[in-house]
Amino acid sequence: MFVGDYMTRHPLTVTPDTSIVEVQGIMAENNIRHVPVVEKGKRLVGLVTRQNLRISPIELSSLNVWEITRLLSGLKVKDVMVRGKDVITATPDTPIEEAARILVTHRIGCLPVLEEGIVVGIITESDLLTQLTNLLGLQVPGWRATIRVPDRAGEFAKITAAVASRGWGIDAAGSLPTPRKPGYWDVVIKISAATRDELVAVLQQIEGQELIDIRATGP
Amino acid sequence: MQTRFHPLPPILKVENLSISYATRYGEVEAVRQVSFEVNRATTLGLVGESGCGKTTVAFGILDFLGPNGRIVEGSIKFQGRELVGRSEKELRILRGDQITMVYQDPMQALNPSLTIGEQLAEVLIVHRNIPHAEAWRRSIEMLERVYMPDAPNVMKRYPHQLSGGQQQRVVIAMALLNNPALLIMDEPTTALDVTVEAAVLDLIAELKRDFDTGIIYITHNLGVVARICDQVAVMYAGELVERAPVKELFAHPLHPYTQGLMRCVPKLGITKEESRLYPIRGRVPAPQDRPWGACIFAPRCDYATERCRNERPMLREIALGHSARCFYAGEIDPSAWQPSKEIDLPVVEPRAASGYGTVLEIENLKTYYEQPSRSVLSLFGLGKKQHVKAVDGVSLRVPRGITVGVVGESGCGKSTLAKTIIGLESPTAGVLEFLGFDISMPVTRRDVKLIQELQMVFQNPDSTMNPAYTVGQQIARPLQRFKTVPPHQVYDEVIRLLHAVRLDPSYYDRFPSQLSGGEKQRVGIARAFASRPELVLCDEPVSALDVSVQAAVLNLLLDIQRRYGTTMLFIAHDLSVVRFFSDFVAVMYLGHIVEFGSAEAIYAPPYHPYTEALLSAVPIPDPCATQKRIRLEGNVPSALNPPSGCVFHTRCPRRNLLLDQGKVCEVETPPQRYNTEQHYILCHIPLEELRKMEPVITTL
Repeated sequence: MFVGDYMTRHPLTVTPDTSIVEVQGIMAENNIRHVPVVEKGKRLVGLVTRQNLRISPIELSSLNVWEITRLLSGLKVKDVMVRGKDVITATPDTPIEEAARILVTHRIGCLPVLEEGIVVGIITESDLLTQLTNLLGLQVPGWRATIRVPDRAGEFAKITAAVASRGWGIDAAGSLPTPRKPGYWDVVIKISAATRDELVAVLQQIEGQELIDIRATGP
Repeated sequence: MQTRFHPLPPILKVENLSISYATRYGEVEAVRQVSFEVNRATTLGLVGESGCGKTTVAFGILDFLGPNGRIVEGSIKFQGRELVGRSEKELRILRGDQITMVYQDPMQALNPSLTIGEQLAEVLIVHRNIPHAEAWRRSIEMLERVYMPDAPNVMKRYPHQLSGGQQQRVVIAMALLNNPALLIMDEPTTALDVTVEAAVLDLIAELKRDFDTGIIYITHNLGVVARICDQVAVMYAGELVERAPVKELFAHPLHPYTQGLMRCVPKLGITKEESRLYPIRGRVPAPQDRPWGACIFAPRCDYATERCRNERPMLREIALGHSARCFYAGEIDPSAWQPSKEIDLPVVEPRAASGYGTVLEIENLKTYYEQPSRSVLSLFGLGKKQHVKAVDGVSLRVPRGITVGVVGESGCGKSTLAKTIIGLESPTAGVLEFLGFDISMPVTRRDVKLIQELQMVFQNPDSTMNPAYTVGQQIARPLQRFKTVPPHQVYDEVIRLLHAVRLDPSYYDRFPSQLSGGEKQRVGIARAFASRPELVLCDEPVSALDVSVQAAVLNLLLDIQRRYGTTMLFIAHDLSVVRFFSDFVAVMYLGHIVEFGSAEAIYAPPYHPYTEALLSAVPIPDPCATQKRIRLEGNVPSALNPPSGCVFHTRCPRRNLLLDQGKVCEVETPPQRYNTEQHYILCHIPLEELRKMEPVITTL
């Protein structure tokens, strides 16, 4: 689970001399919000986001329509982009949770992915959230069970043993400390091989654990 | 599995692209209103006969059109940015190093005077400003990625020191070093052997997945399309006539042209008795002769109506993701199709091998080429002589009126065998009898009568015709030489022969340069049959031709063979064609016939392990068929120093079926095991074991 596996390869890029009118068009047409700026050899020199293209109404209110046009037509990517060293980046071997942390702490939406200064991809909030859905097995139709377990070693093994004893496989799994209830963890597992009743019967028999939710999820 | 909730923008979006060339006929439109998209990690196949504008589209994207070509209208959006209408300098930056192209002939893409390493590292040094040592290291990594054996040493070699398949790997590695978003491949495997082709196709599919590259794959081979493409766009005479996902296209071809193409290719496992090849009548019109305001395919279409001749159909979506440029797409039922009366179809009667008498008898034939030794002793004539054992102990009986196919990779001795029979090479040892006469002497010392009875059709019709003589003169030559007909009847006979190969008398005065490839091959066939020979050797007669022309030439050969009762030795590397055309098949490897039998017997178990590998490499024009995946390692070993014991043991994937990992194969010559009276296999593995293997190809 590294950035290199989930990034978008071959991202759309622009050069510092591209006009911002064109960049705006590219973003709108392809429904994207971030475009890395590169020079020869796909070396990163900056980043344009939709925010960079936002021009405040106060600035515009003093201009007439001709002046606005002239202002816009003269503006290039290099005039508005986030520059070189200020762009926060990742590498293909950054773990995805680390990438998520960087996005959250810097309050940004994307990380260009670099390999020795060369842009090899881009990873965005949407990519990471997509992987969250995959992590909990949203792409396979089946039963999503939430089990509350005490915070001690061996509890997860009980679940896998119970499921394995019936010959089922676990399609996805994830766990988090139970909110507002210290000493407990909530485990989510996704199982597609069993029927609802079979699964409930098996999970309810595990000692010391509580099945708190079961529902069908899928794409 | 990767899911995405929002689709990624396509890498390339071509809309309404028209390209024309300025020629002496004025401005000629070579490509007309073509639209398609290429997505990440998908392969778009661009299919069609030659002259349909496939390569022109690719050159349009790359701006390689040359001084007389230009984009007339339309848009090419690469990575969201418009390419049409920009200056050359801007284009260079835009495309930069994000688009690469792989050509048909790898030797022409490599610089013969630089080592592989210099050429690979240069890509990174120039485009990416990477220091030399680092570039060198990455180049080795990439070579290993494309499964180049011994990569660090290959870096120090020159292109001519590598085989064709290895050269193509170098070219692919070079293309990928830049990590391009779009890769355009123009017939990258056409020049390669089937086994090498299979390995390269596997590689392309794998790289597409690993690098998320969008690929445009230009080819005329429907088998290759079925194997590696996700989407297919069929082009005809500069127009895109059909576009669909690959399985959909093969299951429900909508456009009559696509349906016609499918009827042209022999499916593996089909024989000439069971099925026919139906060539599409006529040929692709030259760009200046294309109709305006009419369906471009109408002149060759069996369903054409008044409407097709007066109105141009638009590309419209018939089913989800499946578009065709035809008024009647979706209404035409290809299974109800009947061949039109304008195409001639041969009548084929099944033949039995017995009771016909033998035309050619070869026993333990050996043709060795002497290799000059490099030692000092050899200067004084004392050195040990080395021999290239091109044909090494071949025995073959060819009954009258039968077609025997010879298959094998290049370097297996197929062509040497043909050359020895025709008399261009002298056999080193063995018996070579034709109609009971010894023909082991070179052609210059053979009796004229024998030469007359033994003729040849060559692979490349361009290089086997004298460009200074007219077609008529070329066909008349054997007639005069062999006195087949009295001198005053020669002209009539030439016209008759032209007629027999479906060329009208106006061709008599034409020069070879005025003919298309298929027509030249027809003249070649007419010339070979002019002396009414008993035996005709065909050395890859259709491999240089387009599918629909190939179907027509094969039909022609079948028809002439039936009429004259000629015996044929048919050498080819395309196993579907061989199976379709031949009664018996000989599989050759390193100068030996490793398996011989009737065509049906060869294509079903028990197989020789080499035959099995060849069969699993053939691209079959059916995306739903499953094929066992057996890939041979390495190349055919040098015939200068063939492996001991079984010559195939160095590459045999089935050796482990025997005790001690097949120790016996390295030491002993394998026995000829007879499956039936007319089917033998040269292998140490017992027939019972070989019989247990599953068939290579299963169709659903």
